[in-house]
Amino acid sequence: MVAPALAVLLSLSIYPLIYSVQISLQTDSPAGPVWGLANFKRLSMDSFFWSAMAHTLIYAVAALLVEFFLGLGLALLLNSNIRGRRFFRATLLIPMMLPTVVVGVVWRLMFNPNFGTINGVLRQLGVITEQLTWTASPRLALAAVIAVDVWQWTPFVFLVLLAGLQAIPQEPYEAARVDGSSSWQTFRHVTLPLLKPAILIVLLLRTMDLLRVFDQIFILTEGGPGFATETVSLYIYRAAFRFTDFGYAAAMSFVLLIITNLISTIYIRLLQSRESVA
Amino acid sequence: MLVIAMITAIAPVYWMLTISLKREVDQFANPPRWLFFPPTLEHYYDAFVARSFVQYLLTSALVAIASTGCALIIGTLAAYSLARFELPWRLDRKLSLWILSTRMFPAIVTAVPLFLMMRDLGLLDTRLSLIVVYTGFNLPFVIWMMRGFFAEVPRDLEEAAMVDGDSRLGALWRVVLPLVAPGLAATAVFCLIVSWNEFLFALVLTQTDEAMTLPVGIAGRVTQYEIKWGVMSAAGVVAIIPILAFAIAVQRHLVRGLSLGAVKG
Repeated sequence: MVAPALAVLLSLSIYPLIYSVQISLQTDSPAGPVWGLANFKRLSMDSFFWSAMAHTLIYAVAALLVEFFLGLGLALLLNSNIRGRRFFRATLLIPMMLPTVVVGVVWRLMFNPNFGTINGVLRQLGVITEQLTWTASPRLALAAVIAVDVWQWTPFVFLVLLAGLQAIPQEPYEAARVDGSSSWQTFRHVTLPLLKPAILIVLLLRTMDLLRVFDQIFILTEGGPGFATETVSLYIYRAAFRFTDFGYAAAMSFVLLIITNLISTIYIRLLQSRESVA
Repeated sequence: MLVIAMITAIAPVYWMLTISLKREVDQFANPPRWLFFPPTLEHYYDAFVARSFVQYLLTSALVAIASTGCALIIGTLAAYSLARFELPWRLDRKLSLWILSTRMFPAIVTAVPLFLMMRDLGLLDTRLSLIVVYTGFNLPFVIWMMRGFFAEVPRDLEEAAMVDGDSRLGALWRVVLPLVAPGLAATAVFCLIVSWNEFLFALVLTQTDEAMTLPVGIAGRVTQYEIKWGVMSAAGVVAIIPILAFAIAVQRHLVRGLSLGAVKG
């Protein structure tokens, strides 16, 4: 009964990968396709690719750090029975359920220099006097798209960590109280180790999503202004579907895949080592 | 604290809702008007009667439902086998991990070869291509989630049914499936959401109004030179409505679903 599923997965994920390897090793010439590593050689010297890689890493690390600490802080604060908790949870779910395209539209409205709320509020608070252009400014654009990701995904980090916190039994806390440990010590030696699996899972899932980010940036800035917010996924998209340079796009996507895999392997190792100890 | 977090989560979406209901003169009001403005439905009329958004909407619904159905049928069968039968060399465990990792691929990595494959098959710019791709997209998730739900059902139940003369498939259908029905429903809703929201593959695989989904239709308008903000917002609001309904339906399972079953929330 596994056979149909295997057939679908083989034809829609394994075969495309093999196909992709094949085209990444070919370059066009008047005499037909030539085999070789030309695409990878070109990639290693392509400054656009490496700056897209830098943007992707900055984006991923910055968004991950902010989302994690914000989410953890909120989860610790709200790990108690509060009134209206259901309603609160339902509200927080909204951003992450939205189609990324709609998130892009929403934030284009918010960032709009003329009628966007961000400028409106900042002006009323007296923080700014001129109209900031946000997504059209080379200095602010990357920060702006990172902020959108933080808005959309901090609730997810929060909810997973909260679920993790609530799965921790009461006994270790009571033992810590009997031993007279400070609240920081309790957090450091009781909460953190017990929360580690949830932390690793949420970091793993967020990292994978952040490294392949495409939709929101495509809608918000299309990688611009200039190339200030161009991530690897956007560059690959441009290479393949604007310049029909499929071989080069395939080569770049392999580098992205390898990096993503390396990072996820590290996380999974950490998770498994933790499980074998426990 | 709570209130600030809630307002931050909601305000941008509310802002889009107001823009979709404002006349163009009011959209540019300074300071921005959050509450009192003369409402109008002209943008909704513009989007769904005068333009092709209805068609995008239908395509989105068709593609989401068809791909979810296919993924559920194929995936549930596979998940049941993985939960019940020992494969040699701990293959079942490896298989599950592999299935999960196919979901972690950066989408763009498979988008390029899938585009070329669909082109060779003559399926570019069809709804069928999206249904096929989304089925593949949702399948690992269905297998992973359903395997967890099946593992929670005691084996004795279906063994008793089989002793009573049911075939294994009969026992699965009559005894096990009703028990995992809530999990199955939650999984289905997740697949619907993923397919409904998906953007990159739809962008790559479709070009004309006939096969475009709602996100691609919206995106096509956003990146134009002159943006009709009211129309965009109206389309955005309509794209959100089914998602909100779904999200409320699966609220209880949401954390588990989004963390691929790793956290039982």
